[in-house]
Amino acid sequence: MISIALDGVTKRYTKGEHVLTPLENVSLEIASGDFFVLLGPSGSGKTTLLNLLAAIDRPDAGRVIVGGTDLAKLPSGRLASWRSEHVGYVFQQANLVPVLTAYENVELPLWLFPMSRAERHRRVSLALEAVGLLERAAHLPRQLSGGQEQRVAIARAIVADPPLIVADEPTGNLDHESADGVLTLLSRLNVERGKTIVMVTHDPRAAARGTRRMQLDKGQLLDLQPAGTP
Amino acid sequence: MKLARLIAKNLKRRPMRTLLTLLGVASAMLLFVLVESLSAGLDRAMGGTEAARTLVVYRQNRYCPQTSFLPESYVERIRKIPGVVSALPVKVFLNNCRASLDLVTFQGAPAEELLRARPVQVLEGDAARFVRDADAALVGRAFAARKGLRVGDSFRFGNITVKVAGIFSSAEPVEEDVVMTHLEFLQRAGPVNRLGTVTQFEVKIDDAARAKEIAAAIDDQFRTAQEPTDTRAKLAFLESATRDLREILGFARWLGIGCVAVVLALVANTVLMSSQERVREFGVFRTLGFREQHIAFLVLGEALILALGGSALGLGAAQLIVETSHVSIGSEGVSVGFRIVPALALRVALVAGAAGALAGLYPALRSASRPVVAALREA
Ligand SMILES: Nc1ncnc2c1ncn2[C@@H]1O[C@H](COP(=O)(O)OP(=O)(O)OP(=O)(O)O)[C@@H](O)[C@H]1O
Ligand SMILES: [Mg+2]
Repeated sequence: MISIALDGVTKRYTKGEHVLTPLENVSLEIASGDFFVLLGPSGSGKTTLLNLLAAIDRPDAGRVIVGGTDLAKLPSGRLASWRSEHVGYVFQQANLVPVLTAYENVELPLWLFPMSRAERHRRVSLALEAVGLLERAAHLPRQLSGGQEQRVAIARAIVADPPLIVADEPTGNLDHESADGVLTLLSRLNVERGKTIVMVTHDPRAAARGTRRMQLDKGQLLDLQPAGTP
Repeated sequence: MKLARLIAKNLKRRPMRTLLTLLGVASAMLLFVLVESLSAGLDRAMGGTEAARTLVVYRQNRYCPQTSFLPESYVERIRKIPGVVSALPVKVFLNNCRASLDLVTFQGAPAEELLRARPVQVLEGDAARFVRDADAALVGRAFAARKGLRVGDSFRFGNITVKVAGIFSSAEPVEEDVVMTHLEFLQRAGPVNRLGTVTQFEVKIDDAARAKEIAAAIDDQFRTAQEPTDTRAKLAFLESATRDLREILGFARWLGIGCVAVVLALVANTVLMSSQERVREFGVFRTLGFREQHIAFLVLGEALILALGGSALGLGAAQLIVETSHVSIGSEGVSVGFRIVPALALRVALVAGAAGALAGLYPALRSASRPVVAALREA
């Protein structure tokens, strides 16, 4: 279980004289167990925000507190292991390692933990089973469909059992059917396992899966109606 | 470590590129090994156990066995000089005084004295037969290997024909490339009958520290004779005989260094390309929780495998060439073989490791230090 708080977060990029501020004094709270959907036009800073939550980027101002940890106070040497323990990241593209099988791709995050081979095997199998691809374990990414690849990527994101899953347009490259499979998977992880999920999407159908929805535009967050309420 | 297996798999990602890099490294290291092994052979040639206690008496101002003639009778006078333990008159016949890849050296001396004076061990055949038969020869094992000679064979060179009575090893490595015959046989063998003259005397002394003094005493004996002598320690003699070779080798070593530079460039190029292809992948690794060190390890490991693997191939090829060709380079009657010894293999491993590490360093640091977000934004 993990909750998230952004407190006056600003992120800006400077290119010469040009200053871009995708996030300006943004504050936000996401409760543990939320399926939080982030919408917004292209270039509005959605990925930037996810990256802050996933501790692969730092804000220029403000605080990002995930599960009670102020990420800014975490020494950079600790960030990597914090990530491996707390966040599963699902990208728009599956980003699998092409020379590793589905099984090995899912196993990857577990290399970072002291764990017996048997325990690793148990966890990888569970994760692959959860995404319905156990029988594809020995396949290389190029032998899988786009939807299957993305499900393997989800298995990789959950194998170490992190409490937070961030997903950046996880269905952006998929057809309807594959997208539905992926979204159902994320919903189940949220409902059945209590994972906190933060998902960026452009797709209204995908957005409908969320328990909370917000729009990011011109550096500001706007609360949208929670899904399901009129 | 699992990352090591990942490195191996990555090398198979572009099999052709990996193969070409390995072959390039192997070729460069083959050259490096050959140069170094010749140098090792030269060191070995200089390093005979008896060299310190042996003097060589030569005709003054002569540098080739084909032009050094001394009266055989000098031997009696040399033996009487204090400090001299024994003196062996030796007639040398060889095909070529200059640097040559196919040196054939005959050395004739009184058979029994020869066996006593030289630290040889007959490996095959029969020393007694050598002593008995006037046209018998004992053949050094390096020469036998080079010419494919076995006991009982006849070996013909120019108008000299000898019967191989035995094959020997020697504590003096240069002698293993020599054919030993009876003195008289060799004296009669040339186009002109040279009975009574020899090329040199090999003098054993009792105290290596007195080598200079005894050499001077010998030369004093013959200062006013018709054929004055020039006596030197065997080591100095060998050094002057191999001077040309040494100079060539000194130059060749620069080539060896160039080979290492080639290895460096090849490996650096390949690893740089492969790490640039994987910028995004490394970003994903970092997002999963892998550290900078892990990324550096992946890149550096690839460089090391390419450098070490290619070098192992080159070393193997050099070994094969040296063993099957038995090639040796002769100079002024001294033969120097290629030697691949464990110390050389170790040096190759160290050089390859250092080149690989150096080649991988920049790509590794660059890949490891790239910010995660920037890596992920890479196409
Ligand atoms: N490293 C960077 N350097 C410079 N500008 C950047 C950098 N990263 C992001 N930006 C800019 O910041 C803005 C927000 O980028 P971000 O990727 O967060 O947008 P996004 O909402 O995810 O867009 P999309 O829906 O197209 O993915 C964009 O204008 C982008 O060009
Ligand atoms: Mg984005």
